[in-house]
Amino acid sequence: MRRLWRRAGVAAVAATAVLASTAACGAGSDDPPGQTTLRIIVNITPNLTQQYWNGLFAKYEKSHPGVKVKLELTGTISASAKLNQDLAAGDPPDIAQQITPTAETASLFADLTGEAWTKKTPLADQYAVDGKRYVVGVGEQIQSLVFYNKAAFAKAKLDPAQIRTLAQLTAAMGKLRSAGYVPLQTAGQWVPGAQFSLLADSGVLTADPDWTVKRKDRKVTFAGSGYQDYLTLYKKWIDAGYLQKSALGLTYADGQTAFLNGRSAMYMMGSFFVPAADLAKKSDGIGVFTMPTDGAYPSGQFGNIADPYVVVNASRHKAAAIEFTRWLVTDPAAVKSQLAADGNLRQGMPYPMSSLGTQVQKVLDAAPSVIVKAGARQPIDGYSNELNTDVQKLYSGASGATVAKGLDTWWNSQS
Amino acid sequence: MVELAELSDRRTAPAADTPRPAVGGRSARLRTAAVSLGMVGPAVALYTVLTVVPVGVAIYLSLTDWNGFSTAVFVGFDNYRHLFADPASTRSWYVTAVIAVVGTVGMVGGGLAYALLLKGRSRTNAFFRALAYYPHVISALILGYLWAAILGTNGAVNSTLHRFGLSEPIGFLFDEKLALVSVIWVIVWAGFGFNVVLFVAALQTVPAELLEAAAIDGASTWQTNRRVVVPMIAPVVTVATVLNLVGLVRAYDLIVSLTGGGPAGSTQTFSYLILARSFAGTKVGYATAQAVFLMVVSAALALLVTALRNRQDQAAAG
Repeated sequence: MRRLWRRAGVAAVAATAVLASTAACGAGSDDPPGQTTLRIIVNITPNLTQQYWNGLFAKYEKSHPGVKVKLELTGTISASAKLNQDLAAGDPPDIAQQITPTAETASLFADLTGEAWTKKTPLADQYAVDGKRYVVGVGEQIQSLVFYNKAAFAKAKLDPAQIRTLAQLTAAMGKLRSAGYVPLQTAGQWVPGAQFSLLADSGVLTADPDWTVKRKDRKVTFAGSGYQDYLTLYKKWIDAGYLQKSALGLTYADGQTAFLNGRSAMYMMGSFFVPAADLAKKSDGIGVFTMPTDGAYPSGQFGNIADPYVVVNASRHKAAAIEFTRWLVTDPAAVKSQLAADGNLRQGMPYPMSSLGTQVQKVLDAAPSVIVKAGARQPIDGYSNELNTDVQKLYSGASGATVAKGLDTWWNSQS
Repeated sequence: MVELAELSDRRTAPAADTPRPAVGGRSARLRTAAVSLGMVGPAVALYTVLTVVPVGVAIYLSLTDWNGFSTAVFVGFDNYRHLFADPASTRSWYVTAVIAVVGTVGMVGGGLAYALLLKGRSRTNAFFRALAYYPHVISALILGYLWAAILGTNGAVNSTLHRFGLSEPIGFLFDEKLALVSVIWVIVWAGFGFNVVLFVAALQTVPAELLEAAAIDGASTWQTNRRVVVPMIAPVVTVATVLNLVGLVRAYDLIVSLTGGGPAGSTQTFSYLILARSFAGTKVGYATAQAVFLMVVSAALALLVTALRNRQDQAAAG
């Protein structure tokens, strides 16, 4: 009997030890005295690589002894998704990049309104929630851009300055196809939905910046608005062979490479394409013009805050995290480094640009407005994913009207 | 020196500390119950903490609108109602069902055929059995990336075909229907080796006399396999079917790396929707409802297959 009791006791102790160690895993560990470790999650992209971030953080560590910045990788998911997971797990990082606070999530982040330096950061007020600044950025990113291959345009005898309307853009595609080029480059993953947004938002949101607000209030629909016209136009381009269905099998990086290698003539993408062209030493052979629309010319630029940072309220090193964030968005060397790495722009922070970067700056200077999808103008959660899925259906034969109706059905089902 | 008779007594007598049937007083019964509880308790505690409590919490969260950080508000069955109204959800169930059913048939059927082909004991058979099993030891995520490099627009297959004069790439990963076929193919390729191992082990248990009797009766190989071998290993086939079916209903990692759910959501499974969309967004309550629903469906499928198998066995016995 005694032996049985002993065995039962051992089993109970073992179980307790397992549970205790499991609990200990979630508790985290404290830094040694005099040492602060700041955990940060960021989006890793072809421009902003893990190596780039570590290099940037090393500069901060060098000038701030006692502070260590730990980059936490997000795996196959975005920084935003990783932050949500970490918050739900009760183990959030100190700082997160590429997060846009909403009225629903604002309380999770440190209110930076009282920090004087935030006033001068780009788009700070446009991204404010109820007048409070929770996010600060490095610069501005503009996205309503059409990059073009100069050699292809020359061969097709096209003048980019004359492409101002959608009809002119469509006609140009026909000439480029006749000249032996794939007129418009796309790719799989998130690219089709994003490119469609760049195209359609320039028209629809320039004409009515509050369209998204109205859609939330069910005062407008995709099927009854300019979006359906854009979807129909996009479908026509696919049917005409101006967009290749096979491109859906390419990654974003592969699609970009195809354009850089001169296989296609045009590429709708944001200003973050510039560093990729610079890196490939192809900038001089590439030009850029603003997105054509059927409305005003030039249209407003769909833009957003570049490299936005939030400090997580639950951070155990909040003061140090805010100080690090201040450095990220105000230190001239850090700011210029980030702007250059991702092709972003900021007034008063010039950095050596390629000819292509300079052209993008001119497009921004000429734009009547920068359309920002933030605050009330931010679409409902999951919209960009659903839009991407639905736009890809156009490649499989769905009509613009069907896709527009599908978007309405989905949107309505979410509220 | 111990006497022989004493040794014999020691062998037959129960050990001193083995619990005896409670024939005596109440204290003995209590002692026995306490010892039993002491033995089972840790396992029950672990099971409760690691399984029962999380499932209970999940069921509770599925009835709330929790976004992962704010206070959860009870919303009743709204999330479950939304689950059936959400077009993305219904679309993903169709994809999941196709992958689960076709994939299971492929993995079990293919595994069984392969095992029957290689059931003999030879080095060649052992080599091919190992070959079939090796994808199973590689992470599904890595397999997805590998096959994406093979089947992609600029992948190995299309590049080779292009060299042989094919002008347009085949849409293994960019055509909606072909992409689903590609996903199923990779799933079957990666998973059927596990079934081969199961079936080969089961085949070793088929009595040689039965096979000899079938041979003496003039049964062909097909007839022997169909009428003798497969019925003998039916329980293992059932287990493999349940494991595969439940595993494929939860298909996620290979989808992430092979197609990312595309094109046009044509390979977006329910698990992918839960993990890549709902949990990644701020819909933890809804995502949990989806997960609970998935758990119920998986359990129902497992029970259904087992029940069907049992009924078939009873019919055969009767």
